[in-house]
Amino acid sequence: MTDQILRIENLSKSFEGNQIFNDVNFAVSQGELSAIIGPNGAGKTTLFNLITGYHIPDRGRIIFKGKDISGLQPFDIVRLGMARAFQITNIFPRMTVLENLVTTVITKENGNLNMVKPVSKLKTVHERAYEILVSVGLADMAHRQSGTLAHGNQKRLDMAIALALEPELLLLDEPMAGMSPEERWQTVELVKQLWERLKITMVFIEHDMDMVFGISQKVRVLCYKTLLAEGTPQEISSNPQVIEAYLGEEV
Amino acid sequence: MDKSPSNKKMRWISGVVVAVALFVLPFVLARLGRTGEFWIWVTTEMIIMALFAMSLNLILGFGGMVSFGHAAFFGAGAYTVALLMKKAGWPLYLALPAAPLVAAIVAAVIGWFCVRLLGLYFAILTLAFSQLLYMIIFQWYTFTGGDDGIHGIPRPEFLDPTNYYLLCLVLFLICFVLMRMIVNSSFGLSIRTTRENLERAKFIGINVRRYQLINFIIAGAFAGLAGGLLTELNRFAQTEFLHWSKSAEPILASLVGGMYSLVGPAIGSAVLMFLKIILQQAHRSMVEMWAIVLGLILLVVVLFAPGGLVGLYERLFGKSES
Repeated sequence: MTDQILRIENLSKSFEGNQIFNDVNFAVSQGELSAIIGPNGAGKTTLFNLITGYHIPDRGRIIFKGKDISGLQPFDIVRLGMARAFQITNIFPRMTVLENLVTTVITKENGNLNMVKPVSKLKTVHERAYEILVSVGLADMAHRQSGTLAHGNQKRLDMAIALALEPELLLLDEPMAGMSPEERWQTVELVKQLWERLKITMVFIEHDMDMVFGISQKVRVLCYKTLLAEGTPQEISSNPQVIEAYLGEEV
Repeated sequence: MDKSPSNKKMRWISGVVVAVALFVLPFVLARLGRTGEFWIWVTTEMIIMALFAMSLNLILGFGGMVSFGHAAFFGAGAYTVALLMKKAGWPLYLALPAAPLVAAIVAAVIGWFCVRLLGLYFAILTLAFSQLLYMIIFQWYTFTGGDDGIHGIPRPEFLDPTNYYLLCLVLFLICFVLMRMIVNSSFGLSIRTTRENLERAKFIGINVRRYQLINFIIAGAFAGLAGGLLTELNRFAQTEFLHWSKSAEPILASLVGGMYSLVGPAIGSAVLMFLKIILQQAHRSMVEMWAIVLGLILLVVVLFAPGGLVGLYERLFGKSES
């Protein structure tokens, strides 16, 4: 059991009588790189929202590192070692790229209550922030206002913010949404390379099947309010139920 | 904001020049007889109201939350000084530090409820609490003197108008340095982070309400000191200090001066007070024109200089540089 970093037990959720999930169960192993796929409206983002504390489950439990986190606030869950990047870019648009990371690193280090020392004098924080920018390839844009970056770079910054939290579990919600083919290819490489280097657990939601089947070790399919199937990319791509419900003719 | 060394040096120099000028000012004014004395009084009030405006801007400009109830803390500080000096016989040097403390406690209670809400709901709740406090002070005649206020607050002998001006100036500068430190610190950045994107702030691990509450308390404390200082200047405290129109003053000052800078609200406050007094001096009946003049100023600022006077200055200054 100890190699399960995240376990979802009997998870159910409705919004105003609309049931999104009914009794979802699965477990994510430590160090796994896995994907969640499913048709639009299957509740993939809602699942992330439930795991990260943005929504509270109606029933069921979410066990992270052996601790029941259902009902905890997002900021508490982050501090337990889980971070997330968003489908719709979620950054601090009027701050510089570097400031986005500086404030995250300060928070990661619990330095938010320091009212005396100027942020500009926090040398190690700046070094760490810059290091993360280098790792995602945004270093040369460090001093630009982040809201003015191209969409693909904003997505990257969103991911960099999550990485700055040094998570054990990183959730990526459609990391390639709205990207050009060129950027998509770069992102696949980046995710793979980060996963290999940081040795953390990553779960991503994605519609791009090249990415899903290309890099994930495990694929989970959300459909019909529940987990329709889970398995290796080979198993999923040949699963008749999945083909009928989601993949259709294209694979 | 330009952080190049030469710009930073310029800022320091201009800051020191302004501070020195403010220290010299009352001695110049004191030579002008009765008019001079009047202007010492006016500038003292300007300094106090500048502090009040800056304190609100910690919530408004840096926190991104519109509070319509900041007068509650100004009034809390004012009545703390009035009651302690008049009824309990405390000396000024003890009553004055108590003002920000009491205001901070009031801010902690009010803020605890208010930070649970966002946007307009936050604004309305702050307004409701401040009006509640206003009504309590208005009604509790035996303790607060109701709408008569508390008059005849003693003034230590050494505090002639010039010395009181200097006391206020020194305290203002200390508060300015403290606020500057807070705004530039990790805490200040965290507050700005919640302003920029509240949801994302939660997802990087910031307990948003907690930091908003702490910021609210800090702002309340500075407002309380301003209230205490004005009480001692006027030698009375009155319910008008807690009225909602008093809460509007620092908001207007921040808009006019520029709420994305630390000094902006102080400048805005001083400019508005100055204009009002000039109008008053020109002709008594002109005071009634003040609402129209103020309206026009706000119209121009909102339409043409959303960054306020400081924003305008930076824009003009930036252009001449390039």
